[in-house]
Order: sequence, then C-alpha cells, then structure tokens
Amino acid sequence: MKKDEIVPDYRLDMQGEPCPYPAVNALETMKDLKKGEILEIISDCPQSINNIPADAKNHGYEVLEVDSSGPTIKYVIRK
Amino acid sequence: MNFWQNFKRDFLVKFWAPIPAVIALGILSAYYFGITGTYWAVTGEFTRWGGHILEAFGVDLSTWGYYKIMNMDGNIFTRIDGVMIIGMFAGCIAAAFWGNNVKLRMPVSSTRVYQALIGGIIAGFGARLGMGCNLASFFTGIPQFSFHAWMFTLAMILGVYLGAKFSLLPFFQSKIKLKKVSCSKELHTDKKRVNNLFKLGSIVFIAVLLWAVYLIFVQGSTKLGMAMLFGSAFGLAIAKAQICFTSAFRDIFTTGRSQMAKAIVIGMAVATIGVFSYITMGQPAKIMWAGPNAIIGGVLFGFGIVLAGGCECGWMYRAVEGQVHFWIVGIGNVIGSTLLAFVWDDLSLQLATSWPKINLLESFGNYGGLFLNYGLLVLLFILILVLEKRYLNKSINR
Repeated sequence: MKKDEIVPDYRLDMQGEPCPYPAVNALETMKDLKKGEILEIISDCPQSINNIPADAKNHGYEVLEVDSSGPTIKYVIRK
Repeated sequence: MNFWQNFKRDFLVKFWAPIPAVIALGILSAYYFGITGTYWAVTGEFTRWGGHILEAFGVDLSTWGYYKIMNMDGNIFTRIDGVMIIGMFAGCIAAAFWGNNVKLRMPVSSTRVYQALIGGIIAGFGARLGMGCNLASFFTGIPQFSFHAWMFTLAMILGVYLGAKFSLLPFFQSKIKLKKVSCSKELHTDKKRVNNLFKLGSIVFIAVLLWAVYLIFVQGSTKLGMAMLFGSAFGLAIAKAQICFTSAFRDIFTTGRSQMAKAIVIGMAVATIGVFSYITMGQPAKIMWAGPNAIIGGVLFGFGIVLAGGCECGWMYRAVEGQVHFWIVGIGNVIGSTLLAFVWDDLSLQLATSWPKINLLESFGNYGGLFLNYGLLVLLFILILVLEKRYLNKSINR
C-alpha cells in the first residue's frame, strides 16, 4: 500500500496534551476498533515518537506511517 | 551537496534512536566525572539559582544549612554545574531548532497547569531531599557506588507507580474525543521558517563551542570549558533522542513498555566500570547520606515527575521546544527545591545528616563493591522484565 493511499477511519487529535496521555488514549482507542480499521493519531508531544509506535507494535497493531518531519507528529496505525 | 543534505537529514534533523543514545550518555557521564571531578547533575545548580533569587530579594542565606552544603560560591559562569547547564541548553536548542521541533504548545486545560506546577514542586522538593534527581540519585548516582542512590531509585519506582495510578484517574484523563474521518490530516510546513530555525540552531551551537574553546585555550579554565562541551553533548543527545527518564518506569505501568528502562540499566552498567576506574585512580567518589531522606525523597520525586510529566532534566529540552507546560514544571522545580532548603535545618538531623554516607567500595572493598553494584543492576533489570510481563499479560488478555 502506498503512503498517500492510506485513508484513516478515525482521528485522535491529541495536540496540546503532554505524554503519557497521547499514548494512553491511543491504546484505549485501538482496543475498541474493529480488525482492519485505521486510526490516525496527531500529537505534538515530541516524546511520543518513542512511545506510540513501540506501544502499538507491543500490542500487536501495525504501524503504517509515522510522519515526524515537523513539530506536530502523525501516526497511522491499523488494528 | 548531496552528501551534506543526507548528513543533515540523518543526523541533524531526524530524531535519534533512544537506546544507543542512553548508552552513549552512560559512557560520556563516566568521562565527565574523570575530567571534571563531579558527576552529571542539574538539580543542585537549580537549587543555587533559587538561592540567588532569594539573595536578590535581600534574604540572608548565611544561616540556611542547605546552601552551605550546596556551596553557593561564584555564579553560573564560574561553577562547573553552571557552565555545563549552559552547554546543555545550547545542545537542546540546537536539537530542537535543527529538527524543526519548535512550536508554542499551550496547555489544553487548567488541570494540566496545576498538574505541572504541583508535580514540579513535589519533584523539586523530593529530589533535593534525596540529594539528586534522576541523574545524581539514579543514572549518575548508582555508578558512584553511593548506596543512597539505590535506596532513592527503589523508592522512586514506588513513587512512579503511585503517580501513574493517580495521573490516570478519570479526573486527569484527556477530554479529547475520537473523530470519524474520511481523509488524512494535512500537516503544513513552512520551508522558510524551517530554514531559519536551522540557521538559528547552528548559530547557538557554534557559539557555545567557541565559548568552550575560549574557556579552555584563552582563559585557561579547562574544566569549565570541558564541562560546557560535555553539557552541549548531553543536551543534544537527550533532546535528539527524546530521552525521558520519567517515562522509563512510568510507561511500564501505563502501557507496558520497558525499552527505556532497560537502556538506562545498560547505560549505568557501562558507566559503573568507567567511574570505577577513575575512583581506583584516586578521584574521590560522590557519596550522600543513606538515610530516610533518600526513601522519602525518592517516593515524592517519583510521584511528582509522573504528575508533572517530566523531571528536572527532561523539562530543559521540552521548554526550548516551546512546551509551555514544561516552563511551569521548571518553575515548580525551583520553588520545590527552595522550599526544601527552607525546611532543611529542621529535618536534616533526623532524616539525613545523622545517617552514614555508605560507599559500597569502602563497605565491601573495591572489588566486592564493584560486583555488588553489578549484582544489584542485574536484579533491577530482572525487576523491569517482571513488571513489564505483568502489565502485558493483564493488558493483552483483557
């Protein structure tokens, strides 16, 4: 699947929230998704770069995209 | 040209991998001790700043016992800890500006503001009661063979656990709602701003390198100059790799992730042998009282850093990234450490100064102490694995 073709089903825009809340909310949300559904998480807590992708993998989800080119980071995760 | 562009992208703009960075910090901190004679620490200097502020308001500090221990001589430009912190800030600024990671992030609610301030005060108080933060009583304290650091660390893990439970109570949870969407969110970048930030970061970084070179070669203050260089490396590494000591134990309890905690133990294992070699060559170790102060301080500190979202070392790089939350945490830390200095003379005898300073290398002999420290590090590593497994079993099988 090419990057620009990924269309998320849901978005969790956590801008302004400090860690660990973006990662905690992301995991809570993923729990309620159906298999195959895609969640996009927006976070401007830079430290989330070390926790959201790792947590997603630890819980068996697939990390489709991480865009950390700017201060606001985008994560795209599939259940 | 291509070479420069690739270098810039891979080493200056992108985040660094956190695990090698923590291990590198362990190695660097051992050399820092060998060259400057002190360990990598930040809260002591913040405490002195609080003291200078009190002096500016006309308070006479000569009767305050804590400031006598802290040695208030000179100022930020003449103390090793002071110039190291200047270097650290420069490294943090360079990392944030090179990486296009600067944005004014305002707190989303007043709850977060109080969390930052109160957490910062509790952490600042606890750190100074325990004679150090995640650095001097943990990451750089354990490799000094000071038993107080072990007491502080175990108490801190308990505090972090309590803090994580408390910070995830419904009252504190994020009110942000999930949205159903049909397209990806476009993130805008302003190329000109990115370039300007990059230049600014470079100017700050080069300026501090020149300053350090001036201190070493012109002024002849070699230790100050080297401390500044080390500081810039510490700052660059913690900010580029987003090293967060707070998250190390917290996230085992919040999401079951332990990679940072494990990396820190490996970093300390590397630092231990380096520091050991300098101590056996005659460098005096930094040993603190192994009293109830280390335990009470550790619990308070662990609770405070999790409530605040960052510790004394972490708020530095987050503050320069424009995270207003961590400006408040920083202010809280200085208030907390000053409060501790205020009550110190009433508490110190019972809680700290009447207790022995336990140096593992003296109590168990050089090699006995060395092996004991490694044994304790192995036990800490196993504790991390057990805690992680406990969380993941609970979470995934739910």
